[in-house]
Amino acid sequence: MAASSICPRCAHETVETVFTSPVPGVWDVLQCRQCLYMWRTTEPARRTRRDLYPERFRMTPEDIAAAIEVPLVPPLLDPR
Amino acid sequence: MPYDDLRSFLETLDKEGQLLRVTDEVMPEPDIAAAANAAPRLGDAAPALYFDNVKGFTDARIAMNVHGSWANHALALGLPKETGTKEQVAEFIRRWADFPVRPEWRDNPPWGRNTMDGDEVDIFQVLPLIRLNDGDGGFYIDKAAVVSRDPGDPQNFGNQNVGIYRIEVKGKRRLALQPVPMHDIAQHLRKAEERGEDLPVALALGNDPVISIVASTPMKYDENEYEMAGALRGAPAPITRAPLTGLPVPWGSEVVVEGVIEGRRREIEGPFGEFTGHYSGGRKMTVIRIDRISYRTDPVFEHLYLGMPWTEIDHLMGPNTCVPIYQQLKQDFPEVQAVNAMFTHGLVVIVSTKKRYGGFAKAVGTRVLTTPHGLGYAATVIVVDEDVDPFNLPQVMWALSTKMNPAGDLIRIPNMPVMELAPQADAPGILDKLIIDATTPTGSDRRGNFSNQVKDLPETGEWLTRLQQLAARR
Repeated sequence: MAASSICPRCAHETVETVFTSPVPGVWDVLQCRQCLYMWRTTEPARRTRRDLYPERFRMTPEDIAAAIEVPLVPPLLDPR
Repeated sequence: MPYDDLRSFLETLDKEGQLLRVTDEVMPEPDIAAAANAAPRLGDAAPALYFDNVKGFTDARIAMNVHGSWANHALALGLPKETGTKEQVAEFIRRWADFPVRPEWRDNPPWGRNTMDGDEVDIFQVLPLIRLNDGDGGFYIDKAAVVSRDPGDPQNFGNQNVGIYRIEVKGKRRLALQPVPMHDIAQHLRKAEERGEDLPVALALGNDPVISIVASTPMKYDENEYEMAGALRGAPAPITRAPLTGLPVPWGSEVVVEGVIEGRRREIEGPFGEFTGHYSGGRKMTVIRIDRISYRTDPVFEHLYLGMPWTEIDHLMGPNTCVPIYQQLKQDFPEVQAVNAMFTHGLVVIVSTKKRYGGFAKAVGTRVLTTPHGLGYAATVIVVDEDVDPFNLPQVMWALSTKMNPAGDLIRIPNMPVMELAPQADAPGILDKLIIDATTPTGSDRRGNFSNQVKDLPETGEWLTRLQQLAARR
């Protein structure tokens, strides 16, 4: 099964196969190593192709760097 | 008769004509989510959906929309499927009075027959995972009962928590989980992280229908969900110890996933189409490492679609949001008649009440904001007279149309807490809140020009019953 070469969401070029269909050759589940977007190769093109992936769902390395923590990691208790 | 597992409930749904089996081959996406998106639009008696012919899978079994109508919600509580919403809430309130009912510890859970441990764990091999909405960052698990305990008080059964949280699948043995700060698991996690520890968790998937209801009920921190399940079922909830973590989990689950939330670690997550009908995400969230999966032979994956309301989640956490707010108001104000908090998990709350004196309705409305659930929700509270049924929205609109004068009936309280997913807040977590007094002024409150309100004729109730009987005989 031909894997999409770039991430539809962030255009990162390292994409990994996470799972393949139990019926051989039907689909793969892929994951971007940068934004962790995960998709199945048989999903509609709006979810799997960079050129058709909606602008409002796209993510950039800057978005990832600026993402807030939920919840915030609390300070460690005083070890005394 | 209480159900001990999902399978026996699916059988009942089937017998009652409330389970629709989709036997044609479907695509994992977009078909299953789109069907579950559509199902609640079939009305108050919409069925659950069951898929077992999914392209590319050899033995997928996926149940959707199990709680996704008033008929199914009634059957989950063991009530006739025709039971109305308000009556279901009233019955819920009656059963809550039996809380707590101690659970029953059982051995040999059916999910103990198959296991994966450590590096052999691969959640994709156990669950036929699918995407729900276009903008979701991946495949989510959003109907699992997540069990955790208070790291500072691990033996306290009351402080153990069973809740439903959004969980993103990040890899074969890696998940993300969203602990909203208002929820109990966030308190457990904070205590673990302050100590520099991981937080052990167990995720129970595919449960008897009452477990899903109590896991999404806004209960107090020290109230135990299994003890509430016993009260709702009318029989002790069957539970057992999860083999790796020792956490108490439902005996009848389809799949039990155990692991830890890795302390002090966050990673990019989402977005996910949330119960607010809006996406949230692109935030750094907790990471779960799966250490063990136990599962029944031929497990059923019970999953939940959520999107623009109403969907299954609004039925699942509608009545169970009304009840605790009603109980808490009633303690201080016996005049309260009913509470409808079914809109977006209580972001809007409608209360009907008698009035002790002028201004009383405003006091009741303000009290909603300081209930434990109201703190994080209850962005708008509408208070109506005791003869207005808060579950009858045309009546509520009548009250707003005729009783509410913006000059004196709107109370806006600035900068109150709200859960961070509320999309209308300028800064997540902080929102002005609004009380709308749509009651008839009374006592020393002499505003308005109400003269006499038309009341139902005394004979109307009798005639309603008579007309219903005549209509049924046609």
